[in-house]
Amino acid sequence: MARVRQLVLSWEAGLVVLTVLIVIIGQSADHDLISSFNLQTTALNNVILLCLALGVAPVIMTGDIDLSVVGTLALSGVVMGDLMSHGMATGLAIAIGLGIALVCGLINGLLVVLFDLPALAVTLGTMGAYTGISFLILGGLAITTFPNSVVSLGSSNLTGTQIPFCVVVVLVIAVIMAYLVHFTTWGKSLFAVGGSRKAALFSGIAVNRVRIITFVISGFLAGFAGLLFLGNYETAQAGMGASELLPAITAVILGGVSAYGGTGTIPGVVIAAVLLALLQSALGLHGFSGQGQTMAVGFLLIIAIGAPPLARSARDWWRRRHAGVVEIASAVTGESKGGSAGSGEAVRSTAVN
Amino acid sequence: MSTSELISDVASRPARRGRVSTLVRRSDTALIALIVLITLVATATLSDFRTLSNINNLLNTTALIAIVAIGEAVVILARQIDLSVGAILGICAYLVGSWSGHVSGPFGPVVGVLLALGLGAAFGLGNALLINVFKMPAIIATLATLSIYTGLQIIVNNGSQLYLTQVPKWLAGLRGNAWFGIGTFIWIAAIVLVVVTFILRRTRFGRDIYALGSNPDAAVYLGVKIRVRTYQIFALCGALAGLGGLLYTSQFGNVDATAGNGMNLTVIAAAVVGGVSLFGGAGTALSAVLGALLLGEIQNILELTRISIFAEQTLQGAAIVIAVAVYAVVSRRLRRPVRREAFLSEHPTIDPAAIDAIGGTTNG
Repeated sequence: MARVRQLVLSWEAGLVVLTVLIVIIGQSADHDLISSFNLQTTALNNVILLCLALGVAPVIMTGDIDLSVVGTLALSGVVMGDLMSHGMATGLAIAIGLGIALVCGLINGLLVVLFDLPALAVTLGTMGAYTGISFLILGGLAITTFPNSVVSLGSSNLTGTQIPFCVVVVLVIAVIMAYLVHFTTWGKSLFAVGGSRKAALFSGIAVNRVRIITFVISGFLAGFAGLLFLGNYETAQAGMGASELLPAITAVILGGVSAYGGTGTIPGVVIAAVLLALLQSALGLHGFSGQGQTMAVGFLLIIAIGAPPLARSARDWWRRRHAGVVEIASAVTGESKGGSAGSGEAVRSTAVN
Repeated sequence: MSTSELISDVASRPARRGRVSTLVRRSDTALIALIVLITLVATATLSDFRTLSNINNLLNTTALIAIVAIGEAVVILARQIDLSVGAILGICAYLVGSWSGHVSGPFGPVVGVLLALGLGAAFGLGNALLINVFKMPAIIATLATLSIYTGLQIIVNNGSQLYLTQVPKWLAGLRGNAWFGIGTFIWIAAIVLVVVTFILRRTRFGRDIYALGSNPDAAVYLGVKIRVRTYQIFALCGALAGLGGLLYTSQFGNVDATAGNGMNLTVIAAAVVGGVSLFGGAGTALSAVLGALLLGEIQNILELTRISIFAEQTLQGAAIVIAVAVYAVVSRRLRRPVRREAFLSEHPTIDPAAIDAIGGTTNG
């Protein structure tokens, strides 16, 4: 019973309910939302976002952040595109591009972990640096011709269906990430490090290694997102994908990963990305322009992250009002003082529930 | 601890505080020295750099960034962050530019400035409201409002652009005007710098901000009203972003829906390069101004030398990483001997060489 209750009250279940609501409302307003064509377009538009979010999620779980993913995406995408346009074998060009992405992630990890610098500042800096290097390589030019294999990875469907191939690939990555995060020692240590770095260190976890690996994975998946970008949009230019950063982080946070680290699940991130994609698609179909969709994402973030603590404090207030005796008792023992400190804690425990 | 030890501990404090203040002064002086060095080299080698119009242009752009960066620095000092300043700046640039045209006469500028500050503060209060009422971390709350304010900005603009000819004369001429040979932008930035420095150094508000940034939990137990301070901090940051919007209208002449895009990262970069710690509690308003000046100067020189306008982002990014690394290394090194000396003075019987022999574990 407790387990059922836990499942029903979980963050992911809440996201699923929200998603279903959006689908029902959206479908009743415009019947095209669940059409196979619209779903296909929506999936193609959001697959890069999901790929970035899957990489950033473990970083945020350990209490760090990686803003440089869009820089890595642009740099590896530009390098791959440039090498391919110079006639290099596709496989080799992709390998080099992904290798560069790995190195980008490793540089972030080494700077943040070994020099003990704030991740926000470092990745803010490397975001500019990586994007800048991609500018140096291509200048203001764009590459628009790619080998067929790359294009079909990005935009073709599974044979006989209307399911885009890249969506399947990213979902496979999601499954792999879910396995790594939730079923391996490294995954368990992520949450320990995110919960308390010191406690994790004292329990014998190689904190530095765990954190560096998260940055390397984040870099690698950003590079892969760059490859998908080439196939999806058939264009490589400096600064590509820059607008994907905030939506990707939004998906991670909405997915139940605490911004302070220590909580969250990969399925939650995937559901959150689907939720965001469907919301934007539904709004777009109903005639809301881009800014309306952007604002809706902002409001959704506020509601999702802000409502549970608000509901909790409202419930506490209600209980206190109807149990005056308890209030007096706690006031005498000085427990009410803990109320304000406890509310900060409530934010963290939200995602755990 | 006996009474005499307590007294000696208290007596030794001024010396330590002197050390801390020299440390702050040293990081600022190092930055000033770097700026002066770059200026001298650029003046000597680039004929385009030393022209009056270029220096004016450089200082005007820097003043605009610096004003917004000072607001961001105050937020960062309190261990918060505001990612929405760019959008606030954009909205205020458009609204102030189009609304202040309705007020003519000598009160026009006053109304315009108050409008910019007030609008910006209102948006800042929106951020603080989310943080206080919904208990959201600042980075998420302002990430959400960045989306909302950007959307609002596009709705407000409604696809149109604001041109310099549509704004009142005083606003259009603000950039070109000068008092006593110094441009108005620089005066405004200087006034903001002096006022915020005074607030940070001499008022209870300022001390509370440093307390919150150094240790929020301890600050709350000391009686710092964290909710009230959060409202004030974000209102101040928003107001300065609004003022930045006013200058933006005058600086760039036309305001469209993308005004202020990318400003968020630039002002955070300026504050960080200037030496404001992202962990809160360390840095000054002057740090933000110096950071803005250094970044502005690098950008200006790159544009003049036409090495490549594309190298700009790389260098700016590298500057942030290097600055953060240098501050971390320097502050760690400077902190070490203080602790060691304190330990040795508390235990006069211990031979300093013995500590080195066991690997200096007291150095932390």
